[in-house]
Amino acid sequence: MATMAEPVGPMRPNIASADIQVPAIKDFEQVDREIGGTLSPTKAWFMGLGVAMTCLGIGIAAWTFQIYAGLGNAGYAPPVMWGVYIITFVFWVGIGHAGTLISAILYLFRAGFRTTIYRAAEAMTVFAVMTAGLFPIIHIGRPWKFFWLIPYPNWRLLWSNFKSPLVWDVFAISTYLTISTTFLYIGLIPDIAVIRDREKNPTRRFIYSILSLGWKNTDREWRHFTRAYLFLAAFSTPLVLSVHSVVSFDFAMALTPGWHATIFPPYFVAGAIFSGFAMVWTIIIPLRKWWRLEHYVTLNHLDATAKTVLFTSMVVGCAYLVEFWVAWYSGVKPEQEYFWNRVFGQWWWAAWIMLICNTILPLSLFSQKLRRNTAWLFILSIFINLGMWFERFVIVVPSLSHEFEPWQWTSYTPSWIDVSLLIGSFGWFFMWFLLFIKQLPIMAIIEVKEIIPPRRAAAPAHGGHH
Amino acid sequence: MPGIVANFRELDRLVSAVRELQRQRLGDVTVYSPTVHHELEDVIGAPTSPVRRFTLVGGLLSASFGYWISIWTSDYWPLVTGGKAIASWIPYTIISFEMMVLVGALSTVFGMFINSRLPKLVLDVGFDPRFTNGDYGIYVQCPPEKERAAQELFGQHGASEVRHAR
Repeated sequence: MATMAEPVGPMRPNIASADIQVPAIKDFEQVDREIGGTLSPTKAWFMGLGVAMTCLGIGIAAWTFQIYAGLGNAGYAPPVMWGVYIITFVFWVGIGHAGTLISAILYLFRAGFRTTIYRAAEAMTVFAVMTAGLFPIIHIGRPWKFFWLIPYPNWRLLWSNFKSPLVWDVFAISTYLTISTTFLYIGLIPDIAVIRDREKNPTRRFIYSILSLGWKNTDREWRHFTRAYLFLAAFSTPLVLSVHSVVSFDFAMALTPGWHATIFPPYFVAGAIFSGFAMVWTIIIPLRKWWRLEHYVTLNHLDATAKTVLFTSMVVGCAYLVEFWVAWYSGVKPEQEYFWNRVFGQWWWAAWIMLICNTILPLSLFSQKLRRNTAWLFILSIFINLGMWFERFVIVVPSLSHEFEPWQWTSYTPSWIDVSLLIGSFGWFFMWFLLFIKQLPIMAIIEVKEIIPPRRAAAPAHGGHH
Repeated sequence: MPGIVANFRELDRLVSAVRELQRQRLGDVTVYSPTVHHELEDVIGAPTSPVRRFTLVGGLLSASFGYWISIWTSDYWPLVTGGKAIASWIPYTIISFEMMVLVGALSTVFGMFINSRLPKLVLDVGFDPRFTNGDYGIYVQCPPEKERAAQELFGQHGASEVRHAR
């Protein structure tokens, strides 16, 4: 039959596809088949889940003991009343940041390399913030009183003090968790509909039907979805910058050497993005290998992320230098002594782990060969995660252990409970992540479909796909 | 209302069929697409989504509420500190900002659900599971006397499958 297909005019680049090429992905069916194929459990997945749950069990056992025996077992002694718990809290909040940066900020900037990694990064954000949120509750010692953190009036109608950074923290973290979960779920709805229509098991199909809310890919749905997604990205962008700024205020608002500095918000935000990207590598590099999805997360994409890591590493390195310079230039003796003690005194080992992992090793990414070497990126990601945990250690512990009065100077050693809860936090995070990747697509099916040229009967009127 | 459903394998055939359907005004048209295409947005020519109004109203109201609750509670039970302002707008901007983001984003989602008519408990008459995978589709709701014209139009524009939907 003669048909009347007309050449359609030049394709306007979609936000997801502005600068990306994935030539090995040919059509929509291939996308559904290959990404849908990641939902089948494997032996390696069960083993991974087993390891994660064992780590979580260690954490739960330690926490149970701490509740029974008291917070005094956590290794805190005046004046070091913040230790591993707050360090780990800041660490996990920071990990979450790259997810929102990749899913929201890079979406607004039309950075195409985000397309195949943003779902994993976004899920990582949600689970990292869930993990972070546990630590203030663990740290209060009496977790059943956690609701005191929520701003509400007491029986004499005395409200919480809205000038307190700790109250800002509650607002920031709870807003961040809510919005990043919402953003993740809204982006998932069309993908869940794809899975729903491929699913053969009636129970799973029913669950996916509920979760997809009856989504059908109509023009009406797409029109409102794209607009809503854009606004959610626009809200998430300042949110991600504000959350770690607010977390940094927990320190910067205190008159403690090493903390009371205006550089803290940008310093924390850059560090958070840096560590979050490293965690994205830790997760995505093994996954692309195990599922043979190298043609989705290509070396070009990893190269682009490596450049971001290199840039944020240099921002962080610059912040470290500025901190030293401000301490010297201020002429304030306790401030100068604190920084000397941090790098050449009592805490030299922690400071040098931080400096080597966060500023020296990432310089290797100036080499394009190493930027495209997945084994090196994976190893580097572990070093960066280690370095960023120690960055928070170096911020929290040396300041509290070396304040203004020499008679107060002390040391700090994490107890076995601290270490167990740190291990437990990784177990908690990876348990949720592993459960997620077997129930829901780890790559955004609809956005991957956006970046491949649609089937056409006639050649495009003005050139091909961008 | 009953109508005709057509499946398309190619985007350009879909676009030209939609254009012709709009020209002939055979009935209400619903277009199904596995992903977003600007070509479809252009040919459908629907007005800008009103979701933005939900965003604006939600954001403004909650930002105002954030300032109001923190100022009101400070004045209701003043915590006087060394000559400092009882209600200080600078820290309260953080509360206001967080409230704006939280409620503004949730209002956006609410607006999307209302306008997209989600959630839906049953799938529509014209829906075909292939529309979420690789196929494009058009469902035109038309009276019986126009069904033949719609079927011919879809055939001329290269539909891979045309059928009645009730």
